[in-house]
Amino acid sequence: MNQVKLEVRNLTKTYPGTVALSDFSAVMQGGNVYALLGKNGSGKSTLVKCISGAVIPTSGEMFLNEQKLQFRSPMDAFDAGIAIVYQELSLVLDFTVAENILIGRYFKKGPGGSVIDWKRTNEKAAEILAALRIDIPVTAKVSSLSVGQRQMIEIAKAMSYNPSVLILDEPTSALAQHEIESLFKVIHQSREQGVIVIFITHKLNEIRGVADFVTVIRDSRFVGTIPIAEANPKTLVDMMFGETQILSRPENLSVSEEVVMEVKNLSRKHHFSNVSFKLRKGEILGIAGMLGSGRSELLRSIFGADPVDSGTISIKGTVITQPHIPTMKRLGMAMTPENRKDEGLVQMLSIKDNLCYASLRAIAPLGFLTNRRQKPIVQRWIRELQIKVASADLPVSSLSGGNQQKVVVGNWLNTEPSIIFFDEPSRGIDVQAKQQVFQIMWDLSRKGLSVIFVSTELEELLEVCHRILIMDRGRIEKETTPERTTLDELYALCMEA
Amino acid sequence: MSAAPQTKRFDISALALEIILLVIIAFLCFYARGFATWDNFMNILRNASTTGIIAFGMTFVIIAGEIDLSVGSAIAFYGCMLAVITDKLAAKGYPLLPVILLAVAVCFIIAVLTGMFTGWVRHRFSVPTFITTLAWMAALRGGGYLLTNSFPVTPFPEWFNFFGSGYVFGIPFQAIIFLLLFGVTWFISRFTTFGRSVYAIGGNAESARLSGINVLQKRMIIMTLTSVFSVISAIMVASQIQAGNPTVGTSWEFTVISACVIGGVSLMGGKGRIWGTFVGVIFLEIILNGMTLLNVDEYWQYVARAVLILGAVLIYQSQEIRQKD
Repeated sequence: MNQVKLEVRNLTKTYPGTVALSDFSAVMQGGNVYALLGKNGSGKSTLVKCISGAVIPTSGEMFLNEQKLQFRSPMDAFDAGIAIVYQELSLVLDFTVAENILIGRYFKKGPGGSVIDWKRTNEKAAEILAALRIDIPVTAKVSSLSVGQRQMIEIAKAMSYNPSVLILDEPTSALAQHEIESLFKVIHQSREQGVIVIFITHKLNEIRGVADFVTVIRDSRFVGTIPIAEANPKTLVDMMFGETQILSRPENLSVSEEVVMEVKNLSRKHHFSNVSFKLRKGEILGIAGMLGSGRSELLRSIFGADPVDSGTISIKGTVITQPHIPTMKRLGMAMTPENRKDEGLVQMLSIKDNLCYASLRAIAPLGFLTNRRQKPIVQRWIRELQIKVASADLPVSSLSGGNQQKVVVGNWLNTEPSIIFFDEPSRGIDVQAKQQVFQIMWDLSRKGLSVIFVSTELEELLEVCHRILIMDRGRIEKETTPERTTLDELYALCMEA
Repeated sequence: MSAAPQTKRFDISALALEIILLVIIAFLCFYARGFATWDNFMNILRNASTTGIIAFGMTFVIIAGEIDLSVGSAIAFYGCMLAVITDKLAAKGYPLLPVILLAVAVCFIIAVLTGMFTGWVRHRFSVPTFITTLAWMAALRGGGYLLTNSFPVTPFPEWFNFFGSGYVFGIPFQAIIFLLLFGVTWFISRFTTFGRSVYAIGGNAESARLSGINVLQKRMIIMTLTSVFSVISAIMVASQIQAGNPTVGTSWEFTVISACVIGGVSLMGGKGRIWGTFVGVIFLEIILNGMTLLNVDEYWQYVARAVLILGAVLIYQSQEIRQKD
């Protein structure tokens, strides 16, 4: 078998206003697993989308086995032997494993091949699984499998097309530890078949178990490819972050000694356990941790959006064991959810209405909501939060991500909260809007509100917060302050907590 | 990233339905003898009222992303309930007025309980209202037959006929109730926190929940609206025919839902207006009335309805697509 070789030369992708991938060149050889490492927004996904045909590069060339690749659609890339397994799985849950693997390619029999030959189809699927040493019955329904097993079926399906390149987009983010290990075995088995495996991740600690090489991308540029033996955490963090300048929060933010909320031994099965912390008046408290560490789940449970199994939350002398959104709202709590689009806004309705949902009772105490009551409130937030709108009657879906985020914040500020949770407020918004959101948090802190800020972007936490809690696998492992920590230290803490 | 904010401008196509209706009215005024008379207009309003009232409730139900298929059967059931209670108690010598009031109260209580139940199972067990109300559709129809032994029951005194055929200052009583409920529901949809919550729940129930809106309570109220309005309609129908008859109201749910859809209420939830439903109700009734006056075979009304439903939705969808571009 000839060795497979994928070469990318000067690949560039620009969008109006931004460069998503800049002059990226790299070579990858078959029979190896390449971990593609980079922080959020570094260009990982753009690179992968170019290779898999989902995005057409602005300039640059790609070669597979010295043959120039030119894709107009993901189908072209697939035909050329590049298979990709996305984070969101594409399996049909009510079909069996065999049906899913061979979908559209069943063996046929009978007159004109009109009847599916289940026996041969199942045998073929079993063969494919055996080659990857996956021990799952082919007649099992996919709905009965765990997420990790489903991932394996996805890989088996991709491998059954005999690709040259297999791309795995953060396959471990939703998996438990033992599932990750089984998945790695499947990945190694795929490598044995001479395939180039590109494994996208942002978890430093699992790279060693799976990869042969680490390719790092930073600020849309290729930084380097190093063999796994040379890849210690320190080197990788340096490669990922380079010389980043961390902005610091304004000097005039002070925290009072008064505790406004105390969480004690809060637990929710499978999500977080024994979480305790105090939040002070005027404090901006950050929660750091990798995806799946239970950060967002913790916020949601405290707010009453998800249940709590045990533990207590005390706010201003009231002790709560079963949080319930309307109760928490009355106690002055607010939350801008992680998923702005699906949880924070009603997309088809107007900006005006979206600014008022959380505070309908305050705006219209007797239930009568008139324009005269709504208008001053809507105008106030549009002005104070600098929301760029032509008219408040337009649907909120017409706004950019940053402005939508401000609408979510405005909706909650209307309730005059004393504690406000920001769950990933900067996701998918541009740099300027991000700074505006941080400015809003600092302003709130000056007014004596307390903020809990959850973000995947560690440099944001260092820039914005007074204090940072580090969460790992549902526990708060450490606590630090921006003054005491550098970015790579914080990163290492999150990885190895 | 940032889409240039569009400016809001007056769009004549937003009034497409109203304009088509006016054109048809103008046409009928010239060509249909007896169309442009006070009596005929009152007739149209009265005929529109029994399904129209329910359509106002249905508008909230559909905006919230739900459906109520049981309203036709509900009209039959509550009419029978009313007649049977009145009949039984009157036979024991109780005076008619209190007996009828009691019967009406019983109907309303049942309606509130069934509506709340439907909303509760929807919320608590995620049973689609399509299923629950399909079950109610069968149960209430069957209940009507069981109550009456499948024969019309006729216990009502002459004065009871007022609710179905009476006039106040030359305006049919039914039409007054219809217009009154139009005003009330229009106000609720536009100017109350309840109204805005219904849109929010239909648009995105999870966002509504995370905003602290009590989604369960709202769903229970919404599903109660159609069942309570069905009782009002049932009283009118029973009064018109002076009987409780288990066969009335067959397939009326489709007339009601059609009116909403023609009026621009989206079955996907989150979108719709009471005014639109009002226009839809009147539209259907005018087509029927005009065809009768023009001596068109009455079965053509079904064809006309089909054209209307599909045509209206096509217009709305093409507007939507254009807005997105």
